[in-house]
Formats: sequence, C-alpha cells, structure tokens
Amino acid sequence: MDFPDGFARKIPHHTLSLPALTALDINLQAGDPSPNLITILSSISSAPALDSITFEHIMWSIVHPSFQGPWADMDRWLVRVAQQARVQGGLSVMLRLWPKGMPVWEGFLRDFRRAGGQIKTDAHN
Amino acid sequence: MNSLPQELIDAVIDSLPRSSLLSSSLVAKQWQRRSQQRALKKIRFPSEAQVDRWCTDFPQDPEGIVSYVHVAEFAGIDSWYDSTIFGRALKGLSSLTELRVSVTGIPDELPTQISRGELGKGITILRLQYTSCTLATTMSVIHSLPNLKVLSIVDPRVGSEGPLRSHPVTSRRAPLDSLELWGDVDVGGIGKALAESGFTFRRLSLEVDPSGVEQLVMLSSETVAKLALYGV
Repeated sequence: MDFPDGFARKIPHHTLSLPALTALDINLQAGDPSPNLITILSSISSAPALDSITFEHIMWSIVHPSFQGPWADMDRWLVRVAQQARVQGGLSVMLRLWPKGMPVWEGFLRDFRRAGGQIKTDAHN
Repeated sequence: MNSLPQELIDAVIDSLPRSSLLSSSLVAKQWQRRSQQRALKKIRFPSEAQVDRWCTDFPQDPEGIVSYVHVAEFAGIDSWYDSTIFGRALKGLSSLTELRVSVTGIPDELPTQISRGELGKGITILRLQYTSCTLATTMSVIHSLPNLKVLSIVDPRVGSEGPLRSHPVTSRRAPLDSLELWGDVDVGGIGKALAESGFTFRRLSLEVDPSGVEQLVMLSSETVAKLALYGV
C-alpha cells in the first residue's frame, strides 16, 4: 500500500482518542473509501461522543459496495465505533446527496446495521 | 422625516438592499451614519490602485467612517509595486474582524506591520485563498493575530524560500474554533507548521492527502468536535 509522503503510516492503529468528537463528515468525491481514509479511521481508538457520520458522494448510483473491499473495511470500522458509542439513540450514518427514489442497497454496511446502527439519506433530485 | 425615531430609521435602512445604501445615506443626516455603516461593513479591494486610493481618501481616523469596516477582502492583486500599501491600508481599519486575501500576494513585511499596532488583536477570522507568499510569511501572519478563531486556507501557493520564524511555546493559545485546510501541494507544509506551532482546533475540515495533516488531528485530538475529511 503506497501512502503519500509516509502519511498514513505515521498514525499507529487504534491509538487516537477523540473524546470530544461528535460529528464526522467524509466527502468521497467520486470514489470508494481509499486506503488512506481507512487507515486514518482505523487509527481512532475511541470516539465515545460520536453520534453522526456523514458520507457525501456526488454519484452514489455508481458505487458498488460489496462484502469485501473498502466498504467492508468501512463496515467493520463502523461496527467498532457503534459498539463504543455512548450517545443516546446510537450512531447514525447519513448518506448525503442520495438520489431520490433510490433504495439503499440491502447489504450495504450490513454488520453496522446488525449492530444497531441507523442509515439515513437526504434524498434529492 | 426628522420626527421619526432613530430606531425606526435604522430598521428601515437595515432592510434595504446594499445597492440602495448610497441613496439612503443622502436622505437626511439621521440616515447617513447607519447607511454608511452598512455600506462599508464589507469592502473589497480588487487592485493596488484601489488600495492606494483608499489610503489617500480615508486617512486613519478611529472614529471616522473607516471604523465602519469589519470585513476587508484583498482580491486579485498578484504582486505589489509598493509592498507597504497592504499594511498601511490594514492599519487604518481599526474595527476589522475578518481579513480575506484571495489570489493576492502577501508581502513579507505584512506580519511585522500587523504586529506593530493594535490591528491584529481585532481580527478573529482569516481567510487565505490562492495566496502567494512564503511559508514563513503565511505562518507569521497567522501568529500576528493573537485572537484568531477561524482560519481558512485554500490552495495557497507557498514559496519555499525564507526560514520559518520560530515562535515560542508560550505563544500557544486556546483552541481555535475551526481550521479549513484545502489544497493540493502546499497545504501539507502549512498543516505541519501549524501543528508544530501548537495550534489546536475544535473543528477540522481537511484535505487528507498532504503530509502534516495527521499531526493536526493528533494535536487536536482532545478538542476536535467536528472533523470533515475531503478528497479521500
């Protein structure tokens, strides 16, 4: 895995505690979660106050989530964060710029949902 | 017209579009001050000639209409024939709270000019977009603003020349409200320099590829409440 300028390698896994973090926004532009992003998120050991994570993608319709690959990595990370969350109502994921009328894929972030996480969309035209 | 209470006149002026403020300032003496305050609250300097003219037409007067300016933007001034004009214009803006610099060169002298007076203490918001200057100058400008709360840096063109001035650890301050750091090549150095200077933030909005960004997240780990990652 090639990290630019040694960037992601500098953060050891599971060492970053973010006690005040309540909201995380991730703009995916037009791609799947990158190795860099997964590495950064994996570095977070705890974020107990986190209650919402927003993924923004300009073309959700071209995303092909699967049970392997970056979305599966994301799913595992979300499960870990959801299990740690101490906020009332639990952790929710918002899919921003979601196409109106398009259902969320059934298996998308499956384990996160099974762990009690909620997925919301802000459907637009 | 003169019998109207000032509060009512002010409310009317506050509801007017900006394009009407010149006319409203001429209605009567009671209308002048509020109209000018609104008209001059934000000003934009699109050329060095305009900055020069402003300095000539509105000499420093803490009680005068120059004090109505709260937001100043310098835009499209790639380089300066007279590198002192930027600082002189700022020096007169005694009520400035927000400084925007877009597609404009920042002279190396500017941080010193800001630090000399009281100006830097009032500025709480600094927005730098497509600015060109050295990393040392960028950092010195930031350090010259002791009450900064919001810092936005987008696609700076940072020259490598010039050593970074060291700023003592005692100059570290309370967490800033937010940092927005976006760009391609040059934001990494700024992120790293901010982290090494001990800046921390409550909200971070970052392009994550450049080096130095990870240090900002780590150093702000106790304070950051909102984290936005772009371009990942």
